[in-house]
Amino acid sequence: MEQKRPIKVLVAKPGLDGHDRGANVVAMGLRDEGMEVIYSGLRQTPEKIVNTAVQEDVDVIGLSILSGAHNRLFPEIIKLLKEKGKEDTLVVAGGHILEKDIPFLQEVGISAVFGHGVSVKSIAEYIRNNVAL
Amino acid sequence: MSDIAKIKEKKKLWEEKVLAPALKKFKLDESPTRYYTPGDVENFDFLEEVGFPGVYPFTAGTYPTLPYAVVSTKGGMPSAKGLKRAARYSGYGTPEDTRDYYKMMQERGLRGGPNLAMDLPTQCGYDSDNPMISGEVGKVGVSIDTLRDFEVIYESYTGNLDLDKIASNFTINAPANIIMAFYIALAEKRGIAPDKLRATPQNDILKEFIARGTYAFPPKQSMRMFRDSAVFFARHMPNVNITSIGGYHIREAGASRIQDLAFSMAIGIAYLQEGVKAGLDIDSFAPKFTFNAFGGSMELFKEVAFQRAARRVWAKILKERFGARDPRSMLIRQPMGAHIGCSSATEQRALNNLTRGVIGGIASALSGSPPQVFPPYDEALGLGWSLEAQQLSEDAARIIQYEARLTDVIDPLAGSYYVESLTAEIEKEAWELIEKIEAMGGAVAAIENGYMKREVARSAHERQQRIERGEELIVGVNCFTDESELDVTTTRLIPHPYDEEKRDQAEAQQIANLTALKRSRDSRRVSELLRDLKEAAKREEENLIPRFIECAKEYISLQEMCDVLREVFGEYEDSVVY
Repeated sequence: MEQKRPIKVLVAKPGLDGHDRGANVVAMGLRDEGMEVIYSGLRQTPEKIVNTAVQEDVDVIGLSILSGAHNRLFPEIIKLLKEKGKEDTLVVAGGHILEKDIPFLQEVGISAVFGHGVSVKSIAEYIRNNVAL
Repeated sequence: MSDIAKIKEKKKLWEEKVLAPALKKFKLDESPTRYYTPGDVENFDFLEEVGFPGVYPFTAGTYPTLPYAVVSTKGGMPSAKGLKRAARYSGYGTPEDTRDYYKMMQERGLRGGPNLAMDLPTQCGYDSDNPMISGEVGKVGVSIDTLRDFEVIYESYTGNLDLDKIASNFTINAPANIIMAFYIALAEKRGIAPDKLRATPQNDILKEFIARGTYAFPPKQSMRMFRDSAVFFARHMPNVNITSIGGYHIREAGASRIQDLAFSMAIGIAYLQEGVKAGLDIDSFAPKFTFNAFGGSMELFKEVAFQRAARRVWAKILKERFGARDPRSMLIRQPMGAHIGCSSATEQRALNNLTRGVIGGIASALSGSPPQVFPPYDEALGLGWSLEAQQLSEDAARIIQYEARLTDVIDPLAGSYYVESLTAEIEKEAWELIEKIEAMGGAVAAIENGYMKREVARSAHERQQRIERGEELIVGVNCFTDESELDVTTTRLIPHPYDEEKRDQAEAQQIANLTALKRSRDSRRVSELLRDLKEAAKREEENLIPRFIECAKEYISLQEMCDVLREVFGEYEDSVVY
């Protein structure tokens, strides 16, 4: 199936966590893979993230968080996406997310959590195979 | 023909007559190995470039000898008096949780003060009851809102562990002066004068803008706060280290080795300039500058050369650029030397991280620092190292020192054609980058214009590309990963001392504490003091630390003070790099 336009991705940093190496690397890497990428910058509230996602009409949101606040912030983001009628946005995550939290996050609506050592290529592959266009 | 010319000639001959045929035989297009000779350090001047440990330019070492290297058993076999590992960066949940943690560690032998990790709301200047930061309270460190929280944490630090007998470490940057005000206020309540206090606040705000992210105010206003700290500590707190500069964080954020060194030095220059601008004599405050650590990597020799180059560069900056006369102004004082970097630890086959850590420990021992084996092998497995992993790291460091005897000789690689060549190369490239930053207007300018952040991101991106192309190899991650490899695992036997349930309940608990405290205050006095603080903040020349101390004593909160500062200074907004 041919894609008429590049997949649009928002890479976002929810909460106060200021470690953005992973977010930078994924954002630039997905751009290398031919996707259109917006990076939100640090200190994004769930509201800001969803507003940007809606404004920019993205297909994918990638959430990067290392502070341990994901169980609190991710459900909020998914809830706001649903309220804006954007529940078909593919939401993936990475950072420092314990394995034991993944089932809960998947239930909430995070499609995939990418752990340490994962290649950007494989993230791109996953997105291509799972994005709703 | 000179000796060097002869050597160079012979090397060429060797390459043609011996190496080339061998490459042909092994079907290699180019040699995977290099070979160094005196020709690579042609103008090497030992006395000028290396000299002696503890003497300018300090290449061989910060100190003339290494007291920790003592192996003599005259006083009995060496043992770790007290549980050293408990003095690691620690803290979580509510102040009560952290107090209990330190009490437990004291029962297990911990002596000395806390090395306090604070949660993100605290580090960013927010209180626990701020709805914007909900979910973050007590997670990556202890939640601190007011002086009351310091009173609780330090409850067990009395008698021969009172504040005039211990040293505290505070990993705090944007609100460092406020946290120090809490410490000073606590001490004063106990009848201890500020000049008796020993502490190291991290107080390195510039790296926050490019690597760590716990900024609050814009760079220029943040430098005003730094000036306040340099002047106040230099004048009133001779046993407080003004700053703990971290190239470490910059490298972990993805910077190259050269960027780590150059950006650290440029940041150090900016801080020194603040003190000089404020009228301080360089030798009156530079000796109180410390370095947290620089970054690290798996490349042992390059990290050894890096440490040597760093010592030389900082010494030259202090002597030549700032005219320091006291050798103590020129030293790199750091609690950790060379290491592999936490980002070298893998989740896959995590026990390999012990092997990796040992390489860092060896690099450290060979470059004049205690052989710390860092991080413990389970770094990538979750927040907080297990006690078993910490035990193995300590034993590994002991083996490096006591069995391999690697600390018996200072700077054993001095004179090595390879290492001297590497040291000179790292130094040269660092100077070029430092000059480039200075030409932009210095570290603050290079942060405001986004240069440093862009460069760090670019390096991180390039490294990831190299890893994904297989140009950089990580065992068990991008190579040696097929099913025939055994996924060697281990289990944690002793539970980590942090209580997860307590951590989860911390936010609600701390909000309740803060609400109760705010109700008990003299709200008129609070408003008065905050008003005065605001007016003082508007006066650029005024040192705000005495104001913070006054506010602290009235149990004014961290955010209440920071909100006033935000009104006057503005707030920094992260700039997007691409």
